[in-house]
Amino acid sequence: MVSLSTENLQIGYGDKTIVENLNLHINKGEITTIIGANGCGKSTILKTLARVHAATSGIVYLDGKMIHKVPTKEIARKMAVLPQSPEAPNGLTVYELISFGRSPHQSGFGRLTDKDRQVIEWALEVTGLSLFADHPVDALSGGQRQRAWIAMAIAQETDLLLLDEPTTYLDMAHQLEILQLLEKLNKEQNRTIVMVIHDLNHASRFSHQMVALCKGNIVKEGSAEEVMTPDVLKTVFQIDAEIVKDPRTKKPVCLCYDLIQKEPELEHRKVMNF
Amino acid sequence: MNQSNAKKKKFIVLIILLFILTIITFVLSLNLGVVRIAPIDVFKTLLGKGTARDQLVLVDFRLPRMILALLIGAGLAVSGAILQGVTKNELADPGILGINSGAGFMVILFIYFFQGSMNSINTLVIFLMPLFALAGAVLAAFLIYVLAWKKGIDPVRLILVGIGVNSGFGAAIIIFQLKMNPQDFMQAAVWLSGDIWGTNWKFVAILAPLILLLLPFALYKAHILNIMNLGDQVATGLGIQVEKERRLLLLAAVALAGFSVAAGGGIAFLGLVAPHIAKRLIGPKHQLFLPITAVLGAFVLLLADTIGKNLLTPTQIPVGIVVAIFSAPYFIFLLMKAK
Repeated sequence: MVSLSTENLQIGYGDKTIVENLNLHINKGEITTIIGANGCGKSTILKTLARVHAATSGIVYLDGKMIHKVPTKEIARKMAVLPQSPEAPNGLTVYELISFGRSPHQSGFGRLTDKDRQVIEWALEVTGLSLFADHPVDALSGGQRQRAWIAMAIAQETDLLLLDEPTTYLDMAHQLEILQLLEKLNKEQNRTIVMVIHDLNHASRFSHQMVALCKGNIVKEGSAEEVMTPDVLKTVFQIDAEIVKDPRTKKPVCLCYDLIQKEPELEHRKVMNF
Repeated sequence: MNQSNAKKKKFIVLIILLFILTIITFVLSLNLGVVRIAPIDVFKTLLGKGTARDQLVLVDFRLPRMILALLIGAGLAVSGAILQGVTKNELADPGILGINSGAGFMVILFIYFFQGSMNSINTLVIFLMPLFALAGAVLAAFLIYVLAWKKGIDPVRLILVGIGVNSGFGAAIIIFQLKMNPQDFMQAAVWLSGDIWGTNWKFVAILAPLILLLLPFALYKAHILNIMNLGDQVATGLGIQVEKERRLLLLAAVALAGFSVAAGGGIAFLGLVAPHIAKRLIGPKHQLFLPITAVLGAFVLLLADTIGKNLLTPTQIPVGIVVAIFSAPYFIFLLMKAK
């Protein structure tokens, strides 16, 4: 079943068009990752899906309904959004931050009910932050901070989670920790997860569906085996990649890669035409 | 939660402490001035048993001015707190955004064009001038909003445009001020530096309901302000209509600043410093932070006014200058401590 989809989506900033015509389908209960080079429109697409950025034309459907016709608070009960490196005000505690995730279920003053407190406690536990509930978010380490934000997003109790680069700025171990947490949420609670991620091997390992983008267009979408091919990576990143099978997970991994030398003159002409 | 209970306790202690300080200042301020009135006489007069002279000084001059100081202080402080929350910028305040100078500009125009042709004790002047100030504040806010609009409001652009509008009005003020006669120039200068001048019960009657309505409104929006502090993207994700809420909150902040400036002149720094101190005391949660800001602002302005009235008697220092003298060093201290 489709959770989120787009129809002829065109997105841009001012006069500059980033995405020309996007038709994307996100399946319910799956982890979908969007990969692509810097500036290819990954984050822009995610922002548009999240109704943070308005599309120039085209439609985003959430559970079959046109997203711009549904009240934003109602959407917030179905879809949680975590932008790239969000910032919390100084002195805000982890508990307070997570409590904001309950806001779509509250009215007016933001008073917490018993149910809200239960969900917050649960989110603290799942993310392993129970001991840090009273700590200020700005005093946490990078990995803990990211987990606190994810805790806020899951406290929203939505079927769908959109995350923009949830592992950026984290070390190898902490990256894996975050991704395993997301995988667990997907498996145990059947949450649909859409994320932009830079590490191809992580994308391959954790996603049911991968979407490879180049200049706002889908180059290839499908399973990791279908997308992690030298051809696709050549188009997307201009790299010559060596793809092998991970002996532990049996998923395709990029073992090593080189840049493909561009012809400088050709490149120059392209810029001029552009 | 342990900590949130501890915070609530701290909040209650702080509020009580600030109230006590304000009451002490209030009593002192009633006693002190060009005419000193002993506490016992103050008490008698307030009960209606004082001499005619005490009655005049206290009830007709001092009390309305002090109540105005409290209202203006709370108004400016909360206005600054809202602006800082909405723009996610700790440097935002009505003065920096040009709301003060917009009001100042209209007052200067008023003095320049109408003052000469009117009797200066004319009661009409007393009520027209704040109206002009309010119009100026709204004009400045409108200009900032329109100029900063680009398919929505980007908080950073809002601040930058505000600074631009501020200096524009500042320049216009100087042009007109230089063409004034010395007497008008002095009046304009005092107004611009912030002076509670409409010391009159009618003023209190107009200002009190307006400010006392807007303060609970700000508190009602505390939850929204908390979430907007997380940034536009997160706030949208949590189901907040960011653009609509921001417009509403900006309007409330401008109204608060406008009414305050109309009665108190261009008092700078208070909208900046009061929220800063409050945040240091109690943290960023608006449900706790806004009330502390309001009471703190009221206290600081009353204290500043008391000092300004008494430091160099019989000359009075405009309250805005007293605020600036104390706030500027605190602010530099903050900047030096900032990471």
